[in-house]
Amino acid sequence: MSKIKVVHYINQFFANIGGEEKADYPAEKRPGEVVGPGMAFNAAFGDEAEIIGTIVCGDTYFNENVDKATADILEMVKEMQPDLFIAGPAFNAGRYGVACGTIASAVQEKLGIPSLTGMYVENPGVDMYASKVYMVSTKNSAAGMRDAVKKMAPLALKLAKGEAIGASCEEGYIPNGVRVNFFEEERGSKRAVDMLLKKLAGKAYTTEYPMPAFDRVAPNPAVKDLSKAKIALVTSGGIVPKGNPDHIESSSASKFGEYDITGVTDLTADTYETAHGGYDPVYANADADRVLPVDVMRDLEKEGVIGELHNKYYATVGNGTAVASAKAYAAEIAKRLIADGVDAVILTST
Amino acid sequence: MPDMVFGCRPFIVMEEVVRLEDYIIVTNNPLVRDREESRHAVEYHETGIREILEIIRNKVHVGQRLLTHPLSGSVKPGETPYKSVLMTRGKEPVDLMSVELIQSAIEACGKFSFKSEEYDERAMRDFRIIDWTLISSALESADSF
Amino acid sequence: MKLEMGYIHISDIEFSSESKIENGKLYVSTDALKALVLEDEKLKDVSFDIARPGESVRITPVKDVIEPRVKVEGKGGVFPGIISKVDTVGSGKTYALKGMAVVTAGKIVGFQEGVIDMTGPGADYTPFSKLINLVMVCEPVDEIEPHEYEKAVRIAGFKAAAYIGELAKSLTPDETKVYETETIKEGMAKYPDLPRVAYVHMLQSQGLLHDTYVYGVDAKQILPTMLNPTECMDGAIVSGNCVSACDKNPTYVHQNNPVVHDLLEEHGKTINFVCHIVTNENVYLADKQRSSDWTAKLCKMLDLDGVIVSQEGFGNPDTDLIMNCKKIEAEGIKTVIITDEYAGRDGKSQSLADADAAADAVVTAGNANQVVVLPKLDKVIGTLDYITKIAGASENTLREDGSLEVEIQVITGATNEVGFTTLSAR
Repeated sequence: MSKIKVVHYINQFFANIGGEEKADYPAEKRPGEVVGPGMAFNAAFGDEAEIIGTIVCGDTYFNENVDKATADILEMVKEMQPDLFIAGPAFNAGRYGVACGTIASAVQEKLGIPSLTGMYVENPGVDMYASKVYMVSTKNSAAGMRDAVKKMAPLALKLAKGEAIGASCEEGYIPNGVRVNFFEEERGSKRAVDMLLKKLAGKAYTTEYPMPAFDRVAPNPAVKDLSKAKIALVTSGGIVPKGNPDHIESSSASKFGEYDITGVTDLTADTYETAHGGYDPVYANADADRVLPVDVMRDLEKEGVIGELHNKYYATVGNGTAVASAKAYAAEIAKRLIADGVDAVILTST
Repeated sequence: MPDMVFGCRPFIVMEEVVRLEDYIIVTNNPLVRDREESRHAVEYHETGIREILEIIRNKVHVGQRLLTHPLSGSVKPGETPYKSVLMTRGKEPVDLMSVELIQSAIEACGKFSFKSEEYDERAMRDFRIIDWTLISSALESADSF
Repeated sequence: MKLEMGYIHISDIEFSSESKIENGKLYVSTDALKALVLEDEKLKDVSFDIARPGESVRITPVKDVIEPRVKVEGKGGVFPGIISKVDTVGSGKTYALKGMAVVTAGKIVGFQEGVIDMTGPGADYTPFSKLINLVMVCEPVDEIEPHEYEKAVRIAGFKAAAYIGELAKSLTPDETKVYETETIKEGMAKYPDLPRVAYVHMLQSQGLLHDTYVYGVDAKQILPTMLNPTECMDGAIVSGNCVSACDKNPTYVHQNNPVVHDLLEEHGKTINFVCHIVTNENVYLADKQRSSDWTAKLCKMLDLDGVIVSQEGFGNPDTDLIMNCKKIEAEGIKTVIITDEYAGRDGKSQSLADADAAADAVVTAGNANQVVVLPKLDKVIGTLDYITKIAGASENTLREDGSLEVEIQVITGATNEVGFTTLSAR
């Protein structure tokens, strides 16, 4: 049986090119070379697999040229025709982690080649890619290299051979949202008693099923006097000036827009539209006030019910947009609203 | 409640009548309709499991409150074609617990696959009976005071 | 309260003209047993069979699994309030026949009842494949309602188990274990420094065919109450539950409740096991509210430090589980919950129908939607008529080679939520 062919991706640091000052090193293919941590992998693979080439790329280069770097590296991997692709491990290096997650999931998805990476559980790459590609949980620095390789090599071989992958705690990968059964050594009741003893003693324990995280926000106290308040409109319903000048995506939005509505009393089919996919846009396009009620707010302003309508509104698209991105947009929008002296916000969605 | 109707009854009894009449059974199970409609207010819809859950959800959205759990019975939605729930008849501010319960029931629907053509009449009868026993259990609680 | 449990190991079962236990072997007169079972006019016929570990046998549809026990000394008899008179059990001396069980089978609500495989991959998932099973397939009279049939089969199983248990009354146990717990005040004095722990045991109580009985009372009707940990060993809690094979608690599981056993193991060493609290899982939301309020209140009144909460079933009980957990944690009492998951065949769906951040210590018995292929076995006790209609089966269930492709939720006890087995998930 011939050996499983592996291509390994590492950054400039692990390729001994240099640190931060060399992080703009572009993607480079080194066929036939085994570099840095690749040696440890080769040793761990024994007779079963071998690294047939290494791809090196600077972290800054990758992250500032994601599309090009990804496309270039995919091409390099394709030329070498491996059976397996390994990226990293990246430990706690944030941009390296994101690069490993990006490229490992791209190789798996676009080229259909089983892929594996590894990083520290708090690496930002985990949140972004743990559900897309197997990711071994490593220590937070390169001092954990030996341990990481020990866990990654057997899992990588299993992936390459198409064997069934066990539960995260058995295989050492970071939980990826897919629940996998396995037999524990102790029965459930005993595990419950042990967990309770730890919890009672204030010791660390690991829940077997982390509850889905609900990010509940407690509402602020009511606005005391609306007639003096400056109110802003913010929407995830994708209402944008006609033509979508900022090109906000119809799903998985990568940005939000800020639009001036000084003097605008009514959103019409000629002036505004929705950028939002995933729902029938006919009614929103015919009258965008249905999603972003500028007309009614102007009425309330005129009647003195509210002090004034803020002259800018903010819009993004909620459709499939990552919670982390939404949070980041909200933080930025809130900062601007506070700077402009806004007292309250009406959030609308679709 | 106009005196015309309950004029001859003492006040305390009237209170009870009001309370007992206060709920409806929403169901797509013909057995529940047949067995309960002489005793209780029954709103029957001849429709599928997902559709009946959506009808219930729409009622929750306009302020009717669930009195029973929509995932009653360990027969999972999608594994049974029938579902009956008790709800308040009157409208109140939207009850968030009801919203969560019905929403998670509809989501749970997606996890299981029900293929009615796979079931013979005897199995369908069992499904109707199981659903009826569940709602009867709730009616016992609802009418116990 | 002090209970001495005498264990008599059963090495084999054989049908015979006379019922007796000799040298660890159980001889059963099917005539005698049949006469006993058919005392119930709702039952038309009963047939008996024996299934041993490793045999190529599939038992289905399984209703209940019961361990034969007999009360040798002390108050009451086995299954009090059901086939013995109501009397508080859990003290004195009780013998149990280990290594065997009475399994009742019948087409009550065929699509829900489970499968026990005695060999192959299915056997790995059910704890009952490790027992020598005396199986009774009960046939009802015509024109009977399912809940009447269920009751008849339920009682028939208890009667048979009690009949067999009785055969051990004068034997000397192979092994003896003493379980002793104190009253509230004694326990405080004896273990002043140990954390005070209770077990909150949620009983299936959603209505007919989904019920559990405590001293003969339908658990739907109870308010949460306290038991001595030893009471359920004498059959104070029995199953009337016909649904959700993988996570229902057959009577055998109540008799051998593993949380009770594992807490008793730690009692006096690392914890003070104060009491066993039983509560219910009614479908009526006001009942849920009341029961979880009461459970939390009892925990508070008992000055507990920690609690284990177990569940039975899916969906509706998830809400009770989370309500109990939330309210008990809100009293400042540390809580661990035991549940199972319905994460879909791909393992990607939300596992529970309810969730809360307070549930930060969870033991899971695995994903009940996981698919398993059960090979064709030589013998079927019961009937395969329902196998494609069982919960967790699909149109592809019965494959050409006679094997079955099913979700493990069809397997009796596969994802037991009192932690009876080792299956888990991550």
